[in-house]
This record gives sequence, structure tokens and C-alpha cells, in this order.
Amino acid sequence: MSTHQMAKLPSRSRFDAVAFGMGIIQNRIVSRLLRSLLVGFGVMTIAFFLLRLVPGDPVQLLLGDTGTPELVEAYRQMLGLDGTLPEQYLRYLGSVMQGDLGTSINSSVSVNTIIARSLPVTLWLIAVTIVLALALALPLSIAAAIYQRTWFGHTFRVASSILLATPVFYSGLLLLLLFAIQLKVAPVAGYRTTFPTNLNYLWLPALVLCGVMVPITARVLQSSVIDTLDQEFVETAVVRGLGRLTFTWRYLLRPSLAPTISLLGYMIGQLLSAAVVVELVFNLPGIGTSLIVEGVLLRDYPVVQGIVLVFGMIVVIVSFLSDLVSGWLDPRTQT
Amino acid sequence: MQSGPLSLENRAGELQDNGQPLLQIRDLKVGFAKSHGILPVINTANLTLGRREAIGVVGESGSGKTMLCRSVLGTLDRHGARVLGGQIMFEAHDLANAPESVWSKVRGKQIGYVPQSSLAGLNPVINVKTQMVEAITAARPMSVQDAEKEAVELLEVVRIPRAKDVLREYSYQLSGGMRQRVMIAAALAQKPKLLVADEPTTALDVTVQKEILTLISRLRRELGMALILVSHDLAVIEEVCDSLMVMYAGASFEAGSVSVTVHAPRHPYTKALHDSRVDTAERGKPLEAIAGEPPTIGSWPSGCRFWPRCPLGDDKCRAGDQPTLRHVAQQLTACIYAERMGDGHD
Repeated sequence: MSTHQMAKLPSRSRFDAVAFGMGIIQNRIVSRLLRSLLVGFGVMTIAFFLLRLVPGDPVQLLLGDTGTPELVEAYRQMLGLDGTLPEQYLRYLGSVMQGDLGTSINSSVSVNTIIARSLPVTLWLIAVTIVLALALALPLSIAAAIYQRTWFGHTFRVASSILLATPVFYSGLLLLLLFAIQLKVAPVAGYRTTFPTNLNYLWLPALVLCGVMVPITARVLQSSVIDTLDQEFVETAVVRGLGRLTFTWRYLLRPSLAPTISLLGYMIGQLLSAAVVVELVFNLPGIGTSLIVEGVLLRDYPVVQGIVLVFGMIVVIVSFLSDLVSGWLDPRTQT
Repeated sequence: MQSGPLSLENRAGELQDNGQPLLQIRDLKVGFAKSHGILPVINTANLTLGRREAIGVVGESGSGKTMLCRSVLGTLDRHGARVLGGQIMFEAHDLANAPESVWSKVRGKQIGYVPQSSLAGLNPVINVKTQMVEAITAARPMSVQDAEKEAVELLEVVRIPRAKDVLREYSYQLSGGMRQRVMIAAALAQKPKLLVADEPTTALDVTVQKEILTLISRLRRELGMALILVSHDLAVIEEVCDSLMVMYAGASFEAGSVSVTVHAPRHPYTKALHDSRVDTAERGKPLEAIAGEPPTIGSWPSGCRFWPRCPLGDDKCRAGDQPTLRHVAQQLTACIYAERMGDGHD
């Protein structure tokens, strides 16, 4: 065999390896989608049955003392609340499959409409929170890793613990008092849907939600960066005299970020539940406000079920995205 | 002779000897700054390295070899350590506690670094190409295409087959020997005057170790670089280096040319190191080991730090400070009884 042929061999096997790798990635996406469907189905089922375990009959609440047994029965039929639980469940499942999340018991508005109206507000809030949280957590955690044993590192540890232990309804009210009432740099409540204006209403609630996100992400990132700082390739990068930006991004952050991004994926559920409270505090017309005001308080089963399903899907989608991002950041996690 | 970025012609002008050594470390003291005070790791290290000379630094773990490298590479502060005294003269610069303005003239330009192979010297999240291009453009801004071309040439210099394919790969796709070749290629990117290799073959297969050492040895001759090779293995240093510096407990114990120092040591510690070698041991005879443990960092004994383990150690050795290097025969030694050690081989 000539050397020319010899040289060709490895490249062919490399091509095969690439094709094989693509297969793996496709399989991963398919299995991920199947899993997401399963999660959605599970969330829907649990929400359906859990709601019906909660004491309080929506029809009784709706009709109050005026409900005669006949009227109650008529309403039950109208709202799809007649028949046994399994019958109700199958009916609900059928309509969800067709993309219909039902109609609000209380306001007769379709749940799809309620969600379409309030979901963008919540998605904006979450997006602004994540951007703000990363903008705060990245520099903080790098500084806390480099100056680990100085007063800065100690302050960082104590402050993040305190922040972590502070509930959002409390920190929300405090920040509202400070920024909106005292300093008057933010609106007290309300919302505008147009893009640049809405940020004016979102930054303070997002800052409150950062109280949930930043301490955890920054602590995890700090410990990753501390590990990275010990790596020999960081030493090599210093000796090579790389620029500060290249060094910080490629040698400190990128090798350290993957666990933090995965964590963000997991924390999205926690973030959503905190967002519900923050929306109420700041009177934002988001999905959390719809959930509590229109859904839970009035035992509006379809509204609660629909919103819980949407929450479930958001968690699934975000954790999928976070997997993609950490795979891009750190190619080792792809294999 | 090959042409390209590393050809000798390119460097011909820089290699004029001016009689001065390239690197001279005098009475170096290095310590970690701890909350309760300073923990010394190097106390009186001395090293002189001429242009195009290769020196081996040998010693047990904890002897301060790696910290000595870091003082030359300017990464002490990253590890919470700093120079407490002495000089590190490199060309016209004193690198001891040098400000960043001095380091920026030296780092990545005049001193190349090959780390321990057991540790990850390559960044695992970016491919070889990006890292090579970074190393090349760090001191010489140029287009990415030109830098890539140079990266291929550098990989060919270190005898990496399929250099263009390897550029696209990540460290986890490369074997240990390949990784170390890439590290060497990156270290050569700025045609450094000095290459610092800190145990470059630890954790490699024996055959690969040999290849890497041969490569380093060949390159430093061809490119006219000076070399500091750190190792705990005398056999490695004997093969690659011209001269030797023996370190123990943060101090220089003996220094001189390899041929003299290894075979006619004037310090009992060097002799003990030589006697415990596996490669020159006589068949059927039990291997010699140095009795006792090296002292832990910072709790060095008074007097000569080797006396508790030394066959020549007596009350005179315990007194005072660690003896400094002095000329005995053809080398420098820190042993007060050096004259008692004959020229004979063992």
C-alpha cells in the first residue's frame, strides 16, 4: 500500500464517524421530543386529577346560594363537569389533542385566548430576568472565583446566602418601596405591551426574580470557575499572553458555563413559580396573575389546567434549549 | 533545512551571543502569602542558563521545581505566591516581581511553555486550530488565514501527521503524545528564546516519552532555543540536557555539567538520586532508595535541609542556615563535606 493510500484511510473513517455522530444527534433529538411529549402528558394528567382533589366545587362557587339542584346539574353538563372522573378526563384529553384547552368556567373566555393574552408578558419577564441574571452572575462569579479568599469572596458568599433565603414577595415589596416609591425610577405597577416601553415595567420585577436566580447560578459558576482556574490550560493561556477578553471568555467562562446553563434549565420551574408571585406583587397581567386571579381563586379548572400545561411545556422547552447551549459551549458534553 | 516561520535564517540575527547568560537566577526566594504569614517554597535557588543551552532541573516533588518554572513564566501570583528576594535576570529584564509592562514583553514572545502532560494543557472546549491561531496572533497580529497556514507549518515541525485534520480536532480526540506535540507546537509559535518544559513526559507511555524527548531535544538544537527541562528522572535529563541543577527542599543543592554532576556528584543527595536510578541499576542487586521522607514545604530542618537523610550528616550540618553553592572541583555544590566525596565512580 502506498503512503498516499495510507493517508487516505483515516479520513474515510473520520467521515464515517461524522455520519455516525449525526445519527446520534438526530436520535437524541427524536428521543428528546418523545420524552417532552410524555412529560406534557404527565403534567396534564397530574394537573387534572390534583385539581379535583382540592376541596371546593367550581359550580357551587359560581352559583352561590341560588343554585337549585337542577341548575347545578345543567351547569355541570354545560361545563363538561358531569359524569365520572375518567369520563371527564378522556373528554379533556380529546379536546387538548385538538389544541383546545377548554373554556373558562368563570368568564366564558376560551383558555387559549387567556393564555395568548398573558403568556407574552410572562415570557418577556422570564427573558429579561435570564439576561439580567447572567449579566449580574457572570462578572460576580468570576470576581468571586479570582478573589475567593479576599473580603470580596467572603461578602459574596454571605450576601448570596442571605439573598437566597429572602422570599420574592418580601424582596419584591422592598424593591418596590425603594425604586418605585422612594426613588421614583420605576412604575409602581402596570404594563404596556409595546417592545421598548415594556422594559420600563419589567426591569424591576426581573431584578426581584434575579434574587432567586443570581445567588444559585453565581455560586455554581463560581465553583466551576475555581475548578477551571486550577487547570493547566489556564496557566498556558497566561503564559501565552492572550488578550483579556479572549482569556476570560474562552479560558475561564466557556469551560465553566455548561453546569450553570444546565442548572438554568432545571431552575426554570422554580423561576416560573417565583414569577407568579412577582406578577401579583407588580400587578403584571402575565400568566401567573391569570393563574391565581382567574384560575385558582375561582376553582376555574380549565384555566388552571391549561396554564399548568403551558408551564410544563416551558420547562421542557427551556431545558432542551439549555442542553443545546451547553453542548455548543462544551463539545465534550455532546458525546 | 526547512523554510517557514521557524527556519534558522529568520533567527540568525537574534542569536548573536553577547557573552551574557540568557537567564540568571540568583538567590531566589519564593513564598506563598498566607493569612498567618509567609510560607516559603523556594529559598536560595540559583541557576545560570546560556543561550542555546539546555539545563535539567531535578528534584523530588515538593522541592520547588514547578514554582521555579512559575517564577520564570510569571504565573506565581495566580497561585498566591510571590518572589520574596533575589533576581531573575532574563535578557535585560529582572523578572522578579516584574510589573505587567515587563511581563507583556516576555510572555508568549520570548518564553515558551510546555506543561506537564498529565494535566490538561489544551483547552477542552475549543479546537486545536483556535488555540494555535491564538498562540500565533497573541504577539503578531495577522489574518486568520495566515495564522492557520502557520499553524499547519508548526504542527508539521513537531511531526504531526495529517496536520490539517488535527487542527479541527479537540483535545479529547487526541492521544496523550499528540496533545503534547500540539503543546510544543504552540510553545514554538513566537520562536521563543527559552522553552520551559515542566515534566513534559509524565503520564505518557514509555515509547511516547522517548519520542517527545527526542523531539524537544531536536527542536531546541535546530531552533537555537535554550531549554529548562524539569524532571524527577535523571535519565531523562542526561539524555536531553547539557547541564543540571539539583533542587531539594526549595534550595539548589548542586549544579554543573550533566556529565560531571551525574557521574561524579559532589553532593550526597545527587549521589543518592543517582544510586536510586532504575535504568542504571545492576541486575540482581536490590534497588537503593533514599531513606526517610523529603521535608514538607515550610517545615525545613535547620542547617542543611538534607541532613536527617544524609549519610554524611553530623552536628555541623544541623547548625546555621542552608549552605549556599560554592565551587568544588568542576561544579557548584551546597554540601559542606563535598571535598570528602571523591572523583571516583561508584
